[in-house]
Formats: sequence, structure tokens, C-alpha cells
Amino acid sequence: MNQENPLNKFRGASRYVLDDELAKIVNVSIALEMPLLLKGEPGTGKTMLAYAVAESLKMPLIVLNVKSSMKLIDALYQYDTLTRLNDSRFGDSDRNVSHIEEYIKMGKIGQAFVADVRTVLLIDEIDKADTDFQDDMLDVLDQMQFDIIEIDKTVSAKNRPVVIITSNAKKDLSDPFLGRCNFHHIAFPDPHMMRSIIDTHFPNLQGEIIEACIETFYHLRVFEGIEKKPATRELINWIRALRADPDFEISKLHRGEIPYLGVLYKKSSDVENVARRVTQSF
Amino acid sequence: MFIEFFYTLRERGVPVTPTSFLRLHKALSTGLIHSLEDFYTVARSVLVKSERYFDMYDQIFAHTFQGVELVEPDDEEITEIAKALLEEWLKNPADIAAALGIDERELERLTPDELIQYFFERLKEQAEAHHGGNKWIGKGGTSPVGHSGYHPGGMRVGGGVSRNKSAIKVAMDRRYKDYSQDGPLTQSQIGEALKRLRRMVPAGPRDVINVDKTIYETIRSGGEIEIVYDRRLRDRIKVVLMIDNGGWSMDPYVHLVQTLFNYVRDQFKDLKVYYFHNTIYDEVWLDPPRRTKPERILDFISKDPETRLIIVGDASMAPYELMHTKGFIHLEKKRSRPSIENLQFLAETFRHSVWINPEEERWWGAWTIDNIRQVFPMFGLTLDGLDKTVHYLMSRN
Repeated sequence: MNQENPLNKFRGASRYVLDDELAKIVNVSIALEMPLLLKGEPGTGKTMLAYAVAESLKMPLIVLNVKSSMKLIDALYQYDTLTRLNDSRFGDSDRNVSHIEEYIKMGKIGQAFVADVRTVLLIDEIDKADTDFQDDMLDVLDQMQFDIIEIDKTVSAKNRPVVIITSNAKKDLSDPFLGRCNFHHIAFPDPHMMRSIIDTHFPNLQGEIIEACIETFYHLRVFEGIEKKPATRELINWIRALRADPDFEISKLHRGEIPYLGVLYKKSSDVENVARRVTQSF
Repeated sequence: MFIEFFYTLRERGVPVTPTSFLRLHKALSTGLIHSLEDFYTVARSVLVKSERYFDMYDQIFAHTFQGVELVEPDDEEITEIAKALLEEWLKNPADIAAALGIDERELERLTPDELIQYFFERLKEQAEAHHGGNKWIGKGGTSPVGHSGYHPGGMRVGGGVSRNKSAIKVAMDRRYKDYSQDGPLTQSQIGEALKRLRRMVPAGPRDVINVDKTIYETIRSGGEIEIVYDRRLRDRIKVVLMIDNGGWSMDPYVHLVQTLFNYVRDQFKDLKVYYFHNTIYDEVWLDPPRRTKPERILDFISKDPETRLIIVGDASMAPYELMHTKGFIHLEKKRSRPSIENLQFLAETFRHSVWINPEEERWWGAWTIDNIRQVFPMFGLTLDGLDKTVHYLMSRN
């Protein structure tokens, strides 16, 4: 809204390493009042960005986890017919049965609209839902209002939320959808960037351990024929596992002994595949 | 200048809209853009909506604001190819020597610099003389360049490295080349493309409340609550996949087809895979060596006509194989009618059927391809092609 206010500019958060490019895009999207669509490999921090934006702008975060069967209406509001039916039959609650509004519950988008402060609305993994959901949702986000048909009432956003949408898919979303979003593709971090990410997560870790871990990690990532490549999250968990192991020494990594492969690879065929190749490649 | 930029993007096939162009101007007036680098980033975010076009955007940006020529392959690209070749040569000198047509011992005498120089010259010749004719510099499956995950020029993700670089430099890096539309397909891409191939029908236990019916039944029974349950919607699509797994002409695509196959196998519960060689005669086989489990094409008439039929093959063969009653290239087998009639029969049996051709679309010159295209709609095994395939298979629901 008032992007002149320095407090409203996004500068990165305590646990999130932000690159300049992305910071710029986030700020322009806030200024243009447009949803920001983030795409990228799993583990590149798409979802984390929303948490970081919320933290840094000091706004509450509302997360809508999209499911494949989801209808737009579920994200807006829910009319609890069964409770009303039950109340009308037994009449043992203090709700007024003829007052439908008492049976309307806000969904995640609805909550972001009626909130008293400006919020960050994260719509996670939009590509899971079908195209209709996506298009309809953008109409709502465009106009910042929706109708509750049952009580013939229009809900308008009190404060325009900062909308961040993520998508895992390499597939394109529909054209009208894309037309109303700003777009950014987060590439997988290079070793240099990864180093700073690890530094923020493990501030007390020795440099050479980090170095060795990152080197091994990127070495493992180039293997072909892996179904699910390890991402940032796996690396962080792996380092955590290594630190918890009193027997671990860096020299093991240099010798090509890689403990806890199961932390990095989540599919048994991948673990076997990698274990076989690791012994050959060092 | 911006208008020219905008139209160059359009001409080069990046889908940019006037609305987004206006929005870019609005962004310029916010006072958040201070440098060409800012402009590069913001304009890309506002104008370009898919990473597939990032590479093209980079090229056009460099072209518009620096006058870099839009040619292909540019020197930088060749450098990358040369680097990859050099690596390949270190692993496998004999192959490269053979590919370049020089003696292996002669090749060994060259210093790496001379070698690269030599590659350069040969590559330029190659690129001009018979472009794509030889797979090792093309985009084919066996090429040493263009593996998925290979990043020419490196991916720049912020941090200290980037700040010294101008936007032009960044744009000239063409670091998004990987995502260009004609890049190699990965399993997840195939997955995304095929995910929409679904047909939802009610199945399983009745565990979803049908509100309308519940209210109706409740009123009918005079206010006594009567809850009505429905079955959930489940995906019940049937898919028949027929793969050409014979002949050297399909060899370069084996990897690509395997990727497709692996995905399809764990995605669709009701999937049957058959194999054939070059084209379909009286039978297709359930076993890859095509020996023990034949199934007669005529028997397919008893299958559900709503089944989606996907045929994968390069559709390139000698014309008589397709048209002649005695066309079958395995002499010991008897056949009764020309292959093309079998194909027509399949197309009539399954109204949702397509042919996927892994060969690049611009090489679809074969006579038999033209003929098969009259029977089945044919799409390439690319992201675009799969998109069209799914669209076609689901459109006549």
C-alpha cells in the first residue's frame, strides 16, 4: 500500500537467505498489489519465502494448503448445514437457527479478507487443484471480494492481503491466471548460496565441516536416474544427523563414506542406486 | 525502446500481453526501479510467466539493450558444446575421434587449446552444413550436451557473485537455457503434463454426505434427520499404451520413452502396455521381446471404448510395411491385412486415441508419418506435445 514506508519493504528474515533479485520482485509485487507466483524445484524455499515475508513485514500469515479435490468455495467460506439441521431438529444450542450467518465459517481466503490487520496469504501448491479453481480464485483475489450466496452478502477485504502463490509444477498454469500474477522461478541454489543458507541454520558449525558436507551434497546431486533428488531440506536434516553422531569425522566424507543416506534420499531404489555409485565415484 | 523490446518479445514467441506491458509501466512509476538490473528483474517478473521463456527473454534483453545479435547457435553456446565435448573426449577418445573423422593418435597430440580450436571449427562447419544431421551436436538423446540438470554458464542465485555483474551480463549468461521449451523432458514434467488425464467417477465406500438429498429425505420423513451418503469421486481412467520397441530408429529415444513409461505405470491404475515393431499388424505383445504373449488387434473390440489409446513410435518405416498386405518385415509371420487398416480399426474402436512421436517435429518428413497422421492425431514427445495430447484425449468427454 504505502511502499514509501521503509517498514513495508521486505528485506529478508532471520532464517531465510534472500537473493537480491527475489527481494526486488517481492517489493514490486507488493507495490503493484499483485499476487506473486513462485515456481521452482521442491526445496528451493518457495513456501519458506512466505513465512519470511510475513515475519519481516510483521504481518500474520494465513496458509491455504491447496488439495486436489478442493473447490474454491472451501477456501472462501463454509456453510455448516449439518449443524444447522441438527440445531433445528434438537434446538439445544444457543445459536439462532433462523440466522444463517451463525452457520457460516470463513475459509482461509475469507479469514484473510475479514482480518483486522493486513495479512500475508500463502496459497501453497496451487497446481494441485484444477484449472477452474485457479481461475475462479483469481477473480476473487482481483476484486478482493466474494459473495456468500446463502445470506446474500458480499465480503470485501478490509485490508488487501499480500498474496504469495507457489507451484511445484513445471507445467504452465492457465493463461488468465498467469496474466494476473507476477512470476518468479526460483532456481536451485548454487554452492555459494547454499553455504550462506547453511550458515544461517547452523551458525556455530565449523567451516570445513560445512564445506565438506556441501561438496558431498552437490556431488551426490549430479547422479542421474535418481527419482527424488535431495534438496535444501534434506541437506539441513542430514547435517543435523551428522552432528548428532559422535562417531562422525569429516575424513569419512573425503573417503567416500556417506552415513545416513536415508536422510538424503527418500526412496529405497534411490538409496541403493546411490550407495552403489558412491563407492565407484570417489 | 521499451515498445521495441515488447514487440521483439512477441515476435520471438514469448507470450506477452498489453496488460502486462502497461503493468510494467506502472511498476516503473512506483519508484522501486533504479537501475537496468532492477528493470531486468522486474520486467521479467511482470512480463514473462513461465521459466520456459526465460532463456528467450535473456537473449532478447541482451539484444535490445546491448545490440547482441539474435543468432543460433551463438559462440557462447559453441563454447559450452566444446567444453562438454572435451570432457567426453577425456572419457572416451576413440568415439570423439571417430565422430570428428580424424585419427585418434593425431587427436592425442593436440593440446587442449588446439583441440578446442579444432572443435570450434568443426562445430561451426557442422552447424552450418548439415544442421542437426549428426546427433552429437543436436538435441537428441545421445548428445553429450543437453543432459537435464546441466547448466551452461552456471545458475546465478543472488549472493556476492552476482552483484558485480550488469543486467546485460546476466542476460547474456542465458542461464535459463535449461528451461527452454525444447529442452529434454524429465519425469516430473511428464507427470505434470499427464496429470490432467483423469476421469472422475464415484467409487469406494459411501462416506460423503449429500446435503441436498439429506435435506430432502429429512423433510420427507417429517423432520426426523435422515442422512444420505454418497461415494467419493475416484479416478477411473483406462489407458492402453502401445510402444514401438523395435528397430534402430527408436534407439535414440529409448531413454525418453522409458521416462514416459515409468511415469505412466505408477500413475494409472488401469493401464495395459503393449509392444510392437515399427507399426501394428495383427497382433501386439504384452512382453517386451514380443514373443510369448500376443494379443490380437481384433480382440480389442471387446475393450471399453472409453479407453484412452496412446501409441508411441517414430512412425518412420518403408511405405510397404504400412500399406502392403505382405508388408510385415518378419517373414515367418502370416498377416491378413495391411497395417494401415489395423491402425484405422484401432482409431475407430477407441475414439480417444493419439500417436506420440518422440522424433522432433521438424523432422516429420517421412511418407508413412503423413499417412499415419491421417489416422491418428500426432504429437511430439515434448512438453508442448504432451499438453496437446492430454487436451485432445480429454476434449471429447
